[in-house]
Formats: sequence, C-alpha cells, structure tokens
Amino acid sequence: MEKSKAGLLQGTLDMLILKTLSLGALHGYGIGQRIAQISDDALKIEEGSLYPGLYRLERRGWIESEWDVSDNNQRAKFYKLTRAGRKQLIVEEQNWERLAGATMKALRAS
Amino acid sequence: MSLIKATVRFLHAWRHPDEIAREVETELRFHIEMRARANVDGGMNPDEAQRAALRSFGDFRQFKTECCEISRSLPFDSTPLRMGLHIAIASLAGAAALWAANTPHKSPISVLWQLGFIAVLTCLFSVARRNKRPHRQ
Repeated sequence: MEKSKAGLLQGTLDMLILKTLSLGALHGYGIGQRIAQISDDALKIEEGSLYPGLYRLERRGWIESEWDVSDNNQRAKFYKLTRAGRKQLIVEEQNWERLAGATMKALRAS
Repeated sequence: MSLIKATVRFLHAWRHPDEIAREVETELRFHIEMRARANVDGGMNPDEAQRAALRSFGDFRQFKTECCEISRSLPFDSTPLRMGLHIAIASLAGAAALWAANTPHKSPISVLWQLGFIAVLTCLFSVARRNKRPHRQ
C-alpha cells in the first residue's frame, strides 16, 4: 500500500531538525536522510528547503555549524545542537504534544 | 551561540558576501552530489541520477538566495531598533525646524545651512522607511 506523504509546516521542520541533531552532528544531506528514516519516509519535503531552515536555526543560536571532512573525504558543513537548542527542542516537543492531543480530542468528539 | 558570536557572524556575512555565497553553494552542491551518488547506487545511470537529484532538491537558486539573506540578517529582531532610529531622526528634524524658526540673526548662509540640515534629516528618514522590509521568520 502506498503511503500518503504529508507536507511539512515550517515549525514542524525546525522541530524535526532539532530532534535529528539531538542524536549527533550531521551535514545537511545526512539530516534529510535521517528525517526520512525516522519518519519512515512519510514526511515529504523538498530537499533544498532544509537549508533555509538550518540557517534560521543557526541564526537563533539553536544549532551551530563547522566545516569538516565527510565520510567520502569531501568538505562538508556539519551541524550540531547547542545547549539553547536542546532546551528549545524540549519546549517544541511539549507544544507539539499539547497541540496533537487537543487535535485528537477535537477529532474524537462526536 | 552568544549574541557576540552571532553579531561577529553577521558582520562577517556583510563584509564578505561573496565568501558566504560560495560557502552556501558548496554546501548545497555537496547535497546534490550525495543524492546523485545514492541514485546511482540505486541503479540509475549517472545523467539520470544527476537530473533526479536536482529535481528532488528543488529551486537551487531560490534556496541559495534565502540562505545568503538569512546569513546577512540581524541576529535579533530589529523592529525596536528601526523604530528608535525613526523617532530619533524625526525628533532631530523637528528640533532643527524649531531652531531655524527661532534663530534671531538670519543671514542667508545660516538659513541655507538650516534648510540643508532639515533636508538631510528628511532624506535619512525616507531612506530608513524605504529600507524597512517585511519581517521574515
């Protein structure tokens, strides 16, 4: 059965990036791969749209970047979560759970 | 990242826009190359893999521009700063107008100086207002 692929709201993408980086430092391509993997390929994003999100999060101080060498010996920019980003992830997760809970409650109401 | 670090990064982005653009381009091209390799590993021929990688990436130029703009944007909300600047310039223009109206000895040169001062402030005010951009997230 073909899975339906959901579009992503900006805030959701930011949260997923933070969540992905909480597991370790990664370059942009790796982040995209990891998001696809942890969401079981259900969340469809234009791959390039990840990058403005990464730059915004870095500007807010939630992630930081560093140029390094990738597994295939190419220069790549690696991102990692900052302490502020870790705190923000907790806030985002709590907000998301509250929103999802409220939405489910509304949907189940008869 | 502290505000100081963010400000240093912002100033660097303003002083070296070409360097930032090159870095963004390198980063985005790395992504496309990795995707193309994965496509080849998945059985596509190299040309087809490259085309598919570009397609799944989306609008390269748009994303590059967005990343460069974000790098050059202030590391904090600039709205209060802009408002403060507008108020300061408007106050200076008002003060200059009052000064011009109340100066007892009006030589043609001093009147010209006062008019010039007001004109410069008015121009600054207009430029500051014109440069006001919609706030981006």
